Amino acid sequence: MKVPFGKILVYLDGSEESISALMYSILLAKSTGAELHAVYVVNTKALSELVRAHVFITQEKSEYLADLRKDSARHIRHAERLAGSKDQDIIAKAIEGSPAFVIQDYIKANDIDLLAIGPVNAIRSRRDELTSENDRMMRTVPCQVLIVRDDSGIWEQFEG
Amino acid sequence: MTLLETLDKDLIKVPLSSAEGNSVIDELVGLYAAKYGLSDSQSAAIADKVKAREALGSTAMENGIAIPHARFSDIKKNAVMIGVSRLPVAFGGKEGTRIFFLVLASDDNPSEHIQLLSSIAKVASSQLFVRMLLSSKNADDVYRLFFE
Repeated sequence: MKVPFGKILVYLDGSEESISALMYSILLAKSTGAELHAVYVVNTKALSELVRAHVFITQEKSEYLADLRKDSARHIRHAERLAGSKDQDIIAKAIEGSPAFVIQDYIKANDIDLLAIGPVNAIRSRRDELTSENDRMMRTVPCQVLIVRDDSGIWEQFEG
Repeated sequence: MTLLETLDKDLIKVPLSSAEGNSVIDELVGLYAAKYGLSDSQSAAIADKVKAREALGSTAMENGIAIPHARFSDIKKNAVMIGVSRLPVAFGGKEGTRIFFLVLASDDNPSEHIQLLSSIAKVASSQLFVRMLLSSKNADDVYRLFFE
């Protein structure tokens, strides 16, 4: 692992907060010369669990999977456009699986030094079942973690 | 938004007054309609879509919990209504259902909707949590359970 960091990975989940994390990471990579990666995880594990729990019927799983794949393609294109607008190279891809495990594996396989994610739960619960993917990643990934808050005018700074 | 960020005390009803599956859906959608000032026809359209989804396959789980849900293009923010019935309601499962999580989801962010449903399914798999939900006396009790 390089100190402070040579490779940044941003986790994209389709939320506005993850777009803020992406914008911040683009600016950070640009100013430090770090290599920038972005991964959108299509959460196929959750889809399978929902079918097993009878919350989803099979047809619904297929519809959601198609929607999630479309959403991931849209976000990858958006990530490439945003990085391109700042002349920053980016390696962006969609991967299917369980978000925390996919990100962990990606970090190990690509020697990522810093993971950038959107905010963790603003509201806390001791119930493990309610842990968000961001929380889970923050606690389990084998590299440094940057939590990008959504309230710091990142959008204005990026577009300004 | 996570499940915790989505929960709203105004959208929880304990006990439910309905004794029949479709009426439970109407009652829970009624909470949403009252909160957001929807007309009767808007409320009925939402309830009909949830019932239509339920007709394709019951969302009743084995432990007396059901998670009826539907997606809407005109809903911008996901909402979760929770209802606890004193008596089991026939909802398509092997046993009667006493706890209902009704989820109205926005078409905009399928990923967030999946996470929301997944969190509900996970808490619903905890026998202890289900027992505590069943012993809740009012909306405050239910709400508090999620944050303990």
